[in-house]
Amino acid sequence: MIKKFNIWYLSSFLISFIVVIPIITVFTSFFEDTSNYFEILKKTFFLEYVFNSLTLLIGVLFLTFILGVGSAYIVSFYHFPGANFFKWALILSFAVPPYIYAYSLFAFFENYGTAFTILKNVFGDGNYNKHIPKFDGMFGLILSISFSLFAYVYILARSSFLYQSQSLIELGKNLGFSKFKSFYSIILPSARPAIVAGLSLVAMETLAEFGAVDFFSVNTLTTGIYNAWIAFDDLAFANRISFFLLIFIFILFLTENLSRRKAKYHLEAKGGFKKKEKIKLYGSKSFFAFMFCFILFFLSFLFPLSQMLYWTIKFPENLNGLQITDLLLNTLYLVSLSSLVLITFALISNYGNRVSNKKILNFLSTLSISGYAIPGVILAIAFITFIAWFDESIIKTLGFLSIKKIFIGSILGLVVVYFVRFYSLAFNGIKSGYEKINISVDESAYLLGYSKSKTFLNIHIPYLRNSILFVIILISLEIIRELPITLILRPFNFETFATTAYISASEDLLEAAAVPSLCLIVIASFFILFTSKYILRDNNE
Amino acid sequence: MNKNFFEVTNASFKVGGINKVNNVSFSIEKEGDIICLLGPSGIGKTTILRSIAGLEKIETGSIKLKGKTLSSNKISIEPEDRNISLSFQENSLFPHFTVEENINLGKIRKNPGKKKKISINKIIKLLNIGKILDHYPHQISAGEAQRVSLARSLASQPDLLLLDEPLSNVDQSFKEEIQVQLKKLLKDLKITTIIVTHDSYEAFYLGTKCGIILNKQLKQFDDPYNVYHFPNSIEVVNFLNRGILIPAKVTGEDSLENKDLGTIKGNFIKHYKKGTDVKLLLQPEDLEHDDQSNLKLEVVDRKFRGTNFIYTLKTNSNLLIPVFVHSHHIHQHEVDEKFGIKRPINIDHIVCF
Repeated sequence: MIKKFNIWYLSSFLISFIVVIPIITVFTSFFEDTSNYFEILKKTFFLEYVFNSLTLLIGVLFLTFILGVGSAYIVSFYHFPGANFFKWALILSFAVPPYIYAYSLFAFFENYGTAFTILKNVFGDGNYNKHIPKFDGMFGLILSISFSLFAYVYILARSSFLYQSQSLIELGKNLGFSKFKSFYSIILPSARPAIVAGLSLVAMETLAEFGAVDFFSVNTLTTGIYNAWIAFDDLAFANRISFFLLIFIFILFLTENLSRRKAKYHLEAKGGFKKKEKIKLYGSKSFFAFMFCFILFFLSFLFPLSQMLYWTIKFPENLNGLQITDLLLNTLYLVSLSSLVLITFALISNYGNRVSNKKILNFLSTLSISGYAIPGVILAIAFITFIAWFDESIIKTLGFLSIKKIFIGSILGLVVVYFVRFYSLAFNGIKSGYEKINISVDESAYLLGYSKSKTFLNIHIPYLRNSILFVIILISLEIIRELPITLILRPFNFETFATTAYISASEDLLEAAAVPSLCLIVIASFFILFTSKYILRDNNE
Repeated sequence: MNKNFFEVTNASFKVGGINKVNNVSFSIEKEGDIICLLGPSGIGKTTILRSIAGLEKIETGSIKLKGKTLSSNKISIEPEDRNISLSFQENSLFPHFTVEENINLGKIRKNPGKKKKISINKIIKLLNIGKILDHYPHQISAGEAQRVSLARSLASQPDLLLLDEPLSNVDQSFKEEIQVQLKKLLKDLKITTIIVTHDSYEAFYLGTKCGIILNKQLKQFDDPYNVYHFPNSIEVVNFLNRGILIPAKVTGEDSLENKDLGTIKGNFIKHYKKGTDVKLLLQPEDLEHDDQSNLKLEVVDRKFRGTNFIYTLKTNSNLLIPVFVHSHHIHQHEVDEKFGIKRPINIDHIVCF
């Protein structure tokens, strides 16, 4: 009955298809001209790109694992002063994108930088520069990305720890395990899928990271793509590197998907769930737990925040000529437009999937949500490639006016690529809301005389209210921090906080980057505080 | 011409490409009748209801309501256009609406033809859900959710109401009371209803007619009395757990002979030729205890069932026969003792296969 070809099916098919286009573009351009790609590999810094990308990846994964799992373990299992505060304060690190962290790190430790000023004010004049460590290059990059992204691991590991059955831990005690052994043999293995999922997200973001990598002048695959495009104006070469990076990422994506499937399986075993009594810590143990969380919170959030605040106050002249209201309005304009488009299409597509239940549609949606795994740089360039091809070979052949201007360097183009990039966030967010609605709810609605559209509007939309709100905030947070897509595709003279900060920093005017960075951190923090109760769900909702 | 209110003709029911029940025909003659479909779980009872509601298609046969074809291999009217209400076995309440809002959502259906208005308050009172009206579905128990779902279906005043195990989650103590009230309400409101259940007593009480579904077939569709007393096949006997089948030879117009029990007399419900070998349905209440009798069998088990005992006796040819004895009976027999059976054995209706 329900399995019939309908408008819902058609629209979800189209939506998924649009999202898949850039991926297809990258793959097809790789095979366009295969004669000389070995040449290109040999001649260029390709091996250096790969080596740097791998080093970066390993460094960041190691550090985020230690920070994320460590903090999640402490706040989930122990009670100490400030534990409830750190529980959500640690996710504030999301408000600081890696590139802003990089600016802060550099600004603090540079010659005559903030560290120097502090030492001078405390101990008087002196030649402190040679004693201040320098955090730049690969090491600075690893730190910047890790402090900004460890929260992915923290959130997923923590939710897994929370759902761990108390009886499992009691079993460890029964077997006479020490705390250390319990952690290694019981707690960690059973949280493994969640931790792997968190690390995979970190890995994808790391490979996609553009701003911080560019700032520290480390050549990775991502910056290689950008440079091929911007410096050599070589779209074909950019696409070629993209292809390699995509293969890299697809492997990660598969790993993540497989482990997530396990994670779901893991959570379904709710039978033995008992609310855990946290262990109360005293004395030095309590102090260490507090210090670990505090230092992490300080380094990941307070440090970049205060550095940017310090510079804003120290160099007030940067406020002049900076149209903060314009930047805010531009940012909010992009955020609201993209959210509207994403939410609308994600809802339609999810409902289409639900009522038509076709295999091809399922496959296409799975493919379409892989957009999130593809770095913004690749998406933006693939988009330009596709529009250029489409314009040349179809529009012009048919004798129409060029459409390039409509899509490249326009808000429309920007929203389309944001759409592709963040579609999986919106789709999955709505999907997880939908998964909680039993199919018999739809059937009951039909049986009470509701048509399909009425069921969607009157029954589903009100139910999904919270999911929609959550998704809007997630998308907003991503778009506020987003850099490469905005940078490549924005209209002339259209700036956001992120692009203003990046442009100032790349012109070596780091102080001028402080104001937009500070604004960005503040707005993002506001959004995070708003969603923290969803991200940190404690009960069995 | 005799026109039925509701009719299923030669329909085969499938779900996900798997045949569940084949070639089913039954009908509801009058508006307001209640019929029950009875069968073990997983047999396809729910599939039948879902197909009648329009949630599944049928490829053969037809389903007609008030003379109008709802489903056939060509036609399939959308569920929302059928005015058939289905109350699901599992909780299908709208989770983001309160109990009261859920019930009121059932009211939206326009029903011009109905004479009698259903009073929502009456339904709420009957189903005893007045106290939970402002609760959300996750705050109420499974039994309550089932009753709310029932109330919602009743409120929509459908032409045909389908109830899938409506009382399966209702407490035993409350179940009988609800059964009485439900029957009264459905009769008062003249709501034609098909109830699916695996509880034979519920089916016998509520249904004007009962259908027994076994082995992908509708085995018997008849009055509850007939289904109980005159099961038409060995499968139905086994499903209803009505007794045991023992070998016997027809010896006359009203008598049979069993090797161990001797002559058994009664009225055959079906004629058999003298000398035919048959299987006789023997129920626990068919045999009477008599200490004076010379037919003595060995007790192998004794079950205390409150108002009665059921003794299991072993015959010379190792048949195990159940016998009912009132629990106020003066003396009891222990396992391994001998137990006398009154002769000659008389059975009102002789059911043979």
